[in-house]
Amino acid sequence: MNALYLALANLRFHWVRTLVLIVAAALVGTVPVLTRTLLAQGEAALTARAEATPLLLGTRGSRLDLVMAGAYFTDDLPEPATMAAADAVWESGLGIPVPLHTTFTAGEARIVGTTLDYFDLRGLEIAQGRPFALLGEAVLGAGAAARLGLGVGDTILSDPENLFDLDGAYPLEMGITGIFAPTGTPDDDAVFVDIKTAWVIEGIGHGHDDIVVAGEDAATAAARVVQFARITEDNIDSFHFHGDPAGYPVTAVMVAPYDDRAATILRGRYLDAEGPVQAVVPADVIDALVARLLRIASLVDAVTVVVGLAAALALGLALFLSWRLRAPEMRTAFALGAGRGTIARLALAEVGIVIAAALAIAAPIVILLIYNADIIAARLIALGT
Amino acid sequence: MRAAVAAVLLMAAPAWAQDRPVIVADSYPMAYFAERLTGGAAEVRLAVPEGRDPSSWRPGLSDIIEIQAADLIVLNGAGLSDWTTRAALPRARTVETARGLEAAFIATETITHSHGEEGSHSHEGVATHTWLDLDLAAQQAEVLATALGRALPEATPDDALTTLLSDLQALDVQGDALVADMPVPVIASHPRYEYLGQAYGLSVTSLDWEAGATPDAAQLIELRGRMAETGAGVFLWEAAPPDAAREAVAALGLAQAVFPPLAMPPEQGDFLDAFRQGLSDLETALTTSE
Repeated sequence: MNALYLALANLRFHWVRTLVLIVAAALVGTVPVLTRTLLAQGEAALTARAEATPLLLGTRGSRLDLVMAGAYFTDDLPEPATMAAADAVWESGLGIPVPLHTTFTAGEARIVGTTLDYFDLRGLEIAQGRPFALLGEAVLGAGAAARLGLGVGDTILSDPENLFDLDGAYPLEMGITGIFAPTGTPDDDAVFVDIKTAWVIEGIGHGHDDIVVAGEDAATAAARVVQFARITEDNIDSFHFHGDPAGYPVTAVMVAPYDDRAATILRGRYLDAEGPVQAVVPADVIDALVARLLRIASLVDAVTVVVGLAAALALGLALFLSWRLRAPEMRTAFALGAGRGTIARLALAEVGIVIAAALAIAAPIVILLIYNADIIAARLIALGT
Repeated sequence: MRAAVAAVLLMAAPAWAQDRPVIVADSYPMAYFAERLTGGAAEVRLAVPEGRDPSSWRPGLSDIIEIQAADLIVLNGAGLSDWTTRAALPRARTVETARGLEAAFIATETITHSHGEEGSHSHEGVATHTWLDLDLAAQQAEVLATALGRALPEATPDDALTTLLSDLQALDVQGDALVADMPVPVIASHPRYEYLGQAYGLSVTSLDWEAGATPDAAQLIELRGRMAETGAGVFLWEAAPPDAAREAVAALGLAQAVFPPLAMPPEQGDFLDAFRQGLSDLETALTTSE
């Protein structure tokens, strides 16, 4: 008890040094745990999402970009494919194709243009409101709704693609009709709209007043066209699309084959390296990525051990030097009758208090992180590049 | 994911919690085919309210939410239900029966007109009433049967398609016998009969007369002009006209027939009965005009 009292008094007197020691010890203990936890959670999240996505179709190119954009809604967008890829799957009768258009963002959340089938296939449940039913309606993932502070009945504006591109996509104000229950997947941070709404943002579909006057050709009238920036009950009938629907862009097409045989046949159809469309099994791509991550993780572990040892040595040295500085003080204590055991207890008490304080700081951080590891990992994955 | 696929295919209809699966069709022929193919094992509903034209009807939000909840949504395609381009429907539970028949579509001129309270609408792009060519109708029934077999296998009797195709084939033969050689010019009160004409040897010129209304003097002058241009001797009504209208057209020397476009249920009988009656009426008019 006396040793503890004296140790505390000494640590309090040298509070700056004590604080540095405690923070350093807390960091040395926390960082490896944080790294391992996030890596493990990231790996689990990546793998689970990949396994829940049987097949992705997209333009031939980087398989990883296709998987990251199509399954994780990252910023790495592959060259767009067309709706013809989804139509081909329908016509084959081998599975359910779900087109995904992820080009745009709203409030920095990825806008995912898709069909209602996506919600059924992913098992997403509406927590508030209802799914979208009309052009211009949006349903928010739980994370996006919380981050943006939006709810059913509010509106959300798509982000302009390029401020200086006058021919680019114009922002569209969308009404929020529902919020999904949290899932711990990239769906939480997305803004879901019907894929036709995404095409409206892209400018393929638009609505405007009929402004052609008698005796005027359409080209002349077009110069006066003011497109609607919000789809309402009054103007929705004026919205229309131009061009062949089969040529409309999609980022990827998620396919849910009816059975294993259908999956094999489908994959076989996209083996031709000259074909414009490739079929990717996300689990294969992610397994390869995770294997690389694990190799990097092993390296990180080794580095962590070395750095941890170095930090422990530095801490030990700091304590040793501080005791050397206190040598006259110890000699006085010895002269007053304090035995070597008492002095050792004093030293151990100081070390114990520093370690206990470091643990007291590190523990809540670690617990908080472990509790929210899925959300943090999902955010990190969604950050992409 | 397999379980999810099964769930999508067997999605229950929460809005109409009941035992029988629910099929919603956008037009009467699609509803009729679905009814025949399921043999009462499913509840077939027509999305369009009674008395409304599917080509001009616009569903409200509550209508769309109800349609979304159906086990199977049957669309004709060929641009009949233009509202589907502005609504979100579950593609896995939606079948567009004319999909794949694009090569047989008939291009039309753009005609914008109005129907009283329904507001204006346009006939543009392609003709929509594909079922009036019974060969196309049979192909649509086959597409529907395939979709039903996938979505509601328990509600699709094996021999239902064979029987339906046989009935359509018998009527098709009756239609083929209408005109022997060169297409016969016919004037129709409304642009509905492009596929009927192409399938059964009629060269149809369409006017834009309101069903159930008596033509005014200007419309009769236009009709006379079309008669002179085409040499038509037969006038085709989409619904039984008022006596005054019938007399006015008869006064121009035209034989008349009523052929319901069948986008909505006929007043009497079913699709086959009404089609058969229409062919019979048409045959009589063609014979009279000779």
